[in-house]
Amino acid sequence: MSGPRVNNADLLAPPVVQTIQQRSLVVGVVFAVMSIIGLLIRPGEFFPAYLLGFMAWLGVTLGCLAILMLQHMTGGAWGLVIRRILEAGTRTLPLMALLFIPLLFGMPKLYVWARASEVARDQHLQELTRAYLNFSGFLGRAIVYFAIWAVLAYLLNRWSDAQDNAALPDNTHRFRALSGPGLVLYAFCMSFAAIDWAMSLSPHWISTIYPLIFLVGQVLSALGFVVAIETILSRYKPMSELLKPDHVHDHGKLILTFVMLWAYFSFSQWLIIWAGNLPEEISWFVRRLNGGWGFVGLFLAAFHFAVPFVFLLSRQFKRNLPTLMWLAVWLMFMRVVDLFWMIEPTFHEQLRVTVWDIVVPVAIGGFWLTFFFRNLKGRPLLPLYDPHSREILEPAHE
Amino acid sequence: MDDRTDDVTVGSAPVIEPGYTFATVTDKISAIVLTRPTSVAWLFGFGVAFLLTMMMLYAIGYLFVRGVGIWGVNIPVGWGFAIVNFVWWIGIGHAGTLISAILLLLRQSWRNSINRFAEAMTLFAVACAGLFPVLHLGRPWLGYWLFPYPNTMKYWPQFRSPLVWDVFAVSTYFTISLMFWFIGLIPDLATLRDRSGNRAAQIIYGILAMGWRGSARHWARYETAYLLLAGLATPLVLSVHTVVSFDFAISMVPGWHTTIFPPYFVAGAIYSGFAMVLVLAIPIRKFYGLEDFITERHLQNSAKVMLATGLIVAYGYGIEAFMGWYSGNRYDTFLLWNRLHGPYHFWYWMLLVCNIGIPQVLWIRNLRSSPVWLFLISLDILVGMWLERFVIVVVSLHRDFLNSSWGMYYPTRWDWMTYIGTIGMFLALMFLFLRILPAISIFEMRTLLPQAEVKPE
Amino acid sequence: MKRLAIYGMMAEFDTTSDLVAAARRTHEAGYRKIDAYSPFPVEGLADEMGFHKNAVPLVVLVGGVLGAISGYLLQYWISAVTYPINVGGRPYNSWPAFIVVTFETTILFAGLAAVLGMLALNGLPMPYHPVFNVPRFAFATRDRFFLIIFSSDPKYETAGTRVFLESLKPRSISEVPS
Repeated sequence: MSGPRVNNADLLAPPVVQTIQQRSLVVGVVFAVMSIIGLLIRPGEFFPAYLLGFMAWLGVTLGCLAILMLQHMTGGAWGLVIRRILEAGTRTLPLMALLFIPLLFGMPKLYVWARASEVARDQHLQELTRAYLNFSGFLGRAIVYFAIWAVLAYLLNRWSDAQDNAALPDNTHRFRALSGPGLVLYAFCMSFAAIDWAMSLSPHWISTIYPLIFLVGQVLSALGFVVAIETILSRYKPMSELLKPDHVHDHGKLILTFVMLWAYFSFSQWLIIWAGNLPEEISWFVRRLNGGWGFVGLFLAAFHFAVPFVFLLSRQFKRNLPTLMWLAVWLMFMRVVDLFWMIEPTFHEQLRVTVWDIVVPVAIGGFWLTFFFRNLKGRPLLPLYDPHSREILEPAHE
Repeated sequence: MDDRTDDVTVGSAPVIEPGYTFATVTDKISAIVLTRPTSVAWLFGFGVAFLLTMMMLYAIGYLFVRGVGIWGVNIPVGWGFAIVNFVWWIGIGHAGTLISAILLLLRQSWRNSINRFAEAMTLFAVACAGLFPVLHLGRPWLGYWLFPYPNTMKYWPQFRSPLVWDVFAVSTYFTISLMFWFIGLIPDLATLRDRSGNRAAQIIYGILAMGWRGSARHWARYETAYLLLAGLATPLVLSVHTVVSFDFAISMVPGWHTTIFPPYFVAGAIYSGFAMVLVLAIPIRKFYGLEDFITERHLQNSAKVMLATGLIVAYGYGIEAFMGWYSGNRYDTFLLWNRLHGPYHFWYWMLLVCNIGIPQVLWIRNLRSSPVWLFLISLDILVGMWLERFVIVVVSLHRDFLNSSWGMYYPTRWDWMTYIGTIGMFLALMFLFLRILPAISIFEMRTLLPQAEVKPE
Repeated sequence: MKRLAIYGMMAEFDTTSDLVAAARRTHEAGYRKIDAYSPFPVEGLADEMGFHKNAVPLVVLVGGVLGAISGYLLQYWISAVTYPINVGGRPYNSWPAFIVVTFETTILFAGLAAVLGMLALNGLPMPYHPVFNVPRFAFATRDRFFLIIFSSDPKYETAGTRVFLESLKPRSISEVPS
């Protein structure tokens, strides 16, 4: 590759990233202090909120990992231009692994099967806890999941790092060789993680599509996040020169696709269980459609699917970053609402939003963003020596 | 996503070999229909397919006389071959819509050379599929009772039943596929009208082309309509197999009532559909010398789609088995045991081998561009997906909740004659299609040529 | 309307770019009743001719909305009004179950609207059209590009239009009898 006119220093993240990083840390610390108060005075409310926050932010991390591998498989400028954002997102994985530890202490508060008194009264739970849902299995499997995700994230980031260096040979083929099996491994681990961490909240209930709802949800969270970040970055160099309307359009189309997939999976689950009306299955929905939770469900149908769907049908809307950004942030919020609707009714029959349901996810988010922006500014926003970076850097190409 | 980056994903193989002009592309494809003499091989192939179609008509005729008792279906297995074949055929149809609609929306221009015959494949497969549930009705001549219309019986369909949804889904699918295919054909029919030297052919193609003259205004509306139709067909194709999966999942039968069914059925449909595309495309490109248009890249991409959808199908098997065990439900557990060790266990294991085991060789890059290997693997997948439907239908039904209603299902010769006969009918229609209509979209191939680009002055 | 003896004047071009450039110049020269013919869709050609109003999306939207409404109402009327039967205790208006058929009718109506609307707006099928009187027009579906100025254009007059078309350097020019 003959010498490009730009160098790595031109491609570094703008100074605003530093500012946001500091503010995120402040928010994280303040809300973490409040969360600790919550843990001390209301542990029963703290842990559900903690699980919510953990799953929400883990979704962004792993969604970034999934999109990263997806774009390595398909290629395309839409992926290259956000690759460094995605990579910075995947490098928050150590933080998420660390944040998993408190869940281990909250297990008896969260999971029926972790409470010996209740297990003793239920034969199915006895069998299940002996075979699968027990502390060592829960911990052991989590270690395996995190180890696999970490290896994938580590390799993809290390090879990408090599692409900042002109002296190192072209390594693009490696990304693709890893990403195919990587996506399989990610989907496999996340499916079981969804069963372990969320579905087992109601250990008598099963739904085979449930893990898939988590998978598309994670990709959707990450897409929303990436669009929000690219909006901020596109106000400054170098992103203002790299990001073209065509890329934004592709991101909009991906969001539309995943909004539709989410609705498709969620509706299929609802219709099959509603039509079946078996006591052990429908009880999950009965809980979530009564006592005020039904309004949350309706809210999801309208604002996680219908309204975004109508907006996203418009070509102009998808190409216009400032408006798309609002929808992206909104969808990130709706992802949390969806998780809230899946997790929280386990603990309360009546709809209630505790202060901790807001404080704890914000605290985790503060730390997550601090970590993310630290990662983001550590590397140029485009892997300069990727063979396709040139197409993005050529201003005349369009 | 992006045209330019298309080349990145598939290495060096081009969509169309260099050196063609608008005229040579037109002449080469239309010559297959217009000037090429009917070959002995074509006559032989069509003859065999035609005989099989006659066999099917004989079996159906006998069914009309004697009723469904000639089939192997009985309580507890009331669905049998009819539904197995229905699901198999309709799944095969889905790749056609996927190639023509979804890849159009994704601006994957490599589809232009295979979409036409993939769409034809969809139509013929849906036609074969549609036969089975109608024949299975018992009194097939009263099939129109399925539609809601005012009648002297003062009766209306029951819209909570997935079987009624199926009527709407399949008939909508057939209508939209037919329109999509026909709309795509109009400009090429005009080409045939103008190129044909035979008066009768000119009149027939002329009537079908409806006076198409390639006006810029017409093209503008045409492209919009085509794109919108693609946008409509994409969710439609997903919905059709979703509804087929609801036929099972809404029922309270272990092995059927599970929420993963919709995406898992859709993936399986695309899996077998792409296998059928390859089974047809590999010989066609060989016999008609179309290697320049259906290139290695088409084979590679189809192989990748098969690998991906095959993994989703494997995911479906896995999660279903795991949940069966995890739920501790005695019926689900028994079903799993019955699949693995029951009287049909051989077919279950064969299904795993054909659908999950063997296709994993597609991870090997060299195999993905070898026509012979791909042809064999595709045949294997077609067999595997047929077995999957057999296992879902028969193994789930044959041992009912009570031991007193356990039984075995054995297909009769009439089952086999009808099934093999539909394969004959499908192939006969394909043979006719190749002779009388352009198998590759001529006008879309023209747009792939570098000359098609407008150079700024 | 009186039918003119001459339908228009047609020029033939070799390449896509020539046709697009010619269409642009003809429009700039003030001709409004013009058309261009090509063997495949050419990006931006209709725009150059001043054709911007494409009604197909609107027709499809109307079709889809009608399909959705009629699909749901059909089921509601049958299941809850005229022929209510109790199926496993499900409500008469079982909306989750009705969504499926509503979806299908939406797609069906929208698809029919797309195809029939496109054909109707294009005035197809059209058994006779004067442009086919030009023998070389048979190549419009193979590899040639044509531009026509209709005789109904106010600026049209035989000699002047021919001189103008010649300035576009076409391969050939022919008068189209109607």
